[in-house]
Amino acid sequence: MVEGTKKRNKIFDYFREKEELYAGGVAWCPGCTLELTARFVPKVLGKDMVLVGCPGCSAPVFYGQNVGTWHRMTYYSCLMTGVPSSATGLARYYKKIGKDVTIVCFTGDGCAADIGFQPLSGAAERNENIIYICYDNEGYMNTGYQRSSTTPLGAWTSTTPVGVAGKGKPTPSKNMPLIMAMHGAVYVATATLSHLEDFAKKLLKAKEKKDEGFAYIHVFAPCLMGWRIEADSSIEVCRAAVRTNYFPLWEAENGKFRLTHEVASPKPVTELTKLMRKFSHLKEDGLAELQKVADERYALIKSLCDASK
Amino acid sequence: MAKAQKGQVRVITGNAAAAYGAMLCRPDVATSYPITPMSEVAEQLSAFRADGLVDTEMVEVEGENSAMNVVTAASMAGGRVFTATSSWGLVFMYDAVQQASGFRAPVVMAIANRETPGILAVSGGQQDIISMRDTGWIQIIVEDCQEILDSVIMAFRLAEDFDIQLPVMVNYDGFYLSYLATAVEIPEREDAARFLAPLKQQPERPKLVPGEPLSCGTHGIEMGFMELRYKHCAALERATTKLDEIDKEFGEIFGRSYGGQIEEYRTEDAEIVLVTSGSATGTARTVVDAKRAEGIKVGLVKLRLFRPFPRKRLAEALKGKKAIGVIDRSVGFGWNCGPMYMEIRALTPEIGIIPMLSYIDGLANLDITIPHIERVIDEVSAAAQGKPYQEVTWIPMEE
Repeated sequence: MVEGTKKRNKIFDYFREKEELYAGGVAWCPGCTLELTARFVPKVLGKDMVLVGCPGCSAPVFYGQNVGTWHRMTYYSCLMTGVPSSATGLARYYKKIGKDVTIVCFTGDGCAADIGFQPLSGAAERNENIIYICYDNEGYMNTGYQRSSTTPLGAWTSTTPVGVAGKGKPTPSKNMPLIMAMHGAVYVATATLSHLEDFAKKLLKAKEKKDEGFAYIHVFAPCLMGWRIEADSSIEVCRAAVRTNYFPLWEAENGKFRLTHEVASPKPVTELTKLMRKFSHLKEDGLAELQKVADERYALIKSLCDASK
Repeated sequence: MAKAQKGQVRVITGNAAAAYGAMLCRPDVATSYPITPMSEVAEQLSAFRADGLVDTEMVEVEGENSAMNVVTAASMAGGRVFTATSSWGLVFMYDAVQQASGFRAPVVMAIANRETPGILAVSGGQQDIISMRDTGWIQIIVEDCQEILDSVIMAFRLAEDFDIQLPVMVNYDGFYLSYLATAVEIPEREDAARFLAPLKQQPERPKLVPGEPLSCGTHGIEMGFMELRYKHCAALERATTKLDEIDKEFGEIFGRSYGGQIEEYRTEDAEIVLVTSGSATGTARTVVDAKRAEGIKVGLVKLRLFRPFPRKRLAEALKGKKAIGVIDRSVGFGWNCGPMYMEIRALTPEIGIIPMLSYIDGLANLDITIPHIERVIDEVSAAAQGKPYQEVTWIPMEE
């Protein structure tokens, strides 16, 4: 690696993996936050792990085709109903033969919150030695932007279209990170790409605690195509989600909640919604309802953090 | 032939026999999730674990779908795995069942057969295995509790064989066998280990190694996919004669063998043949003896291997016979006949055009009785003499 004259960003200090793990030329959509997450996670965790995933936006690269893949990692692919259960099988077998292995599930929200929720809940309850990372792009972005249970209130998707009668999604999103925390998981955190150091610390903490049991990290990962975002502003959207408290950054370690990045003066959610077109049909009342959901959720997490002090 | 190894004889249920069979093979990972009528398998395995008889990692999953995913993944990592289910549990793991065979994961699964689909029937029937016909698994159907235990042990030998590497289902009639307590000889652990030892002489099967660049379960496209399918089917073909070999070897060690793919009873000089599977075979054997005493030259074929279908062995057994009757404990939707009958009919080019009669009986815990089987033999016998016959008979509907 050529040493630059500019001071190196301290995020590199968190990288445990020096090797480039992806084949040259591998790319998802331009500006894709999943791609950045998929590249960032193994850099921090190191490649000595087994990644478990399923069909979704990450699959085309992770799965490979026939006898070739586009990465140098150990990957186990299964169906959307089987990610945490497959990871359980791997973790239990390696435990049986006395092999110390980090098992990392890497899926979107459709798998985690919808079709694969039962095995996720089961694995969390059994306190399996698994790290589950959910990249939440708030819908089935891979199959053409259909709604999932993490799609927010009022959002346009291809199955909650806007028209004379349609007003976007009629119900708020499933509060996944909190649901997972309520399972009593050893470690639960939220993270996003605008706050990489925070993200890296959480990944390392999850790995550090993996022998104690189940860890879950919920990553806010906007989809430029599905949310109708300009290609150069994906990180800006992540930052806005944090600054508006739409997606607060917190962690729960053995049931103790803590805000890892407290926003001094949060902006209204319109600062986030204006960056994309999936909310562009919302009028004042719709935006007010979305603000209300964000406020209530923030108040809830804040009270949990305060109670943990 | 060496002296057969003796084990302890105990009175145990079919479910316990399945659990004992698994325990003797010392799986690395097993799952438990209850469903009637197989729950006892899960309980018994957990008890073995609690008593320190095995060091298997037992995963108390939250559903059958997860059970199959747990064991498939553990198998791909290199482990020996076991699970058991029944009926709707089997249906609930349908996607994972197909994934397991596509992955060529040597999973062994015991199934206490029970009715599906449609109206809920908490009762015996083989419809659940029929729905698994095209999953790419090896399907063995057994007759009694001893055969359950022995077949589970044989299933590990077959599944993990380097030339096979396919998952195996060991099917036994729910209710009829699952809860039936009979004397079962439980082999000694060392003997079971000796029987499985040849697997260790074989090359190691491919497995997932953490940190190694390897992706398990890639997108198979075009020729890559075609080749995998071709090899999968070829492995299934190899499993037919492999089961015969394994069954023979089992007999040499334990003094019990079951004929491999099919078991023939008094077929050699038989003019007509009855085909059965599962627990009804015991009844059929009694009736065959009685009819023989009356002078009717009837033989019996027990279908043990349902997938891959034992085409060659069946054709050899049925060739030259004058008529055949097949009793099914399930239905072939859209054909209005028994599924096993349907498949045997497909052997017509090999066995010739003769009367073939389909009998549907014993659904949802209806008994396949001695009078039922007598009736079948009488009708098949009449058909063999050129009398007109009805192709498909739903026996209890005509009583």
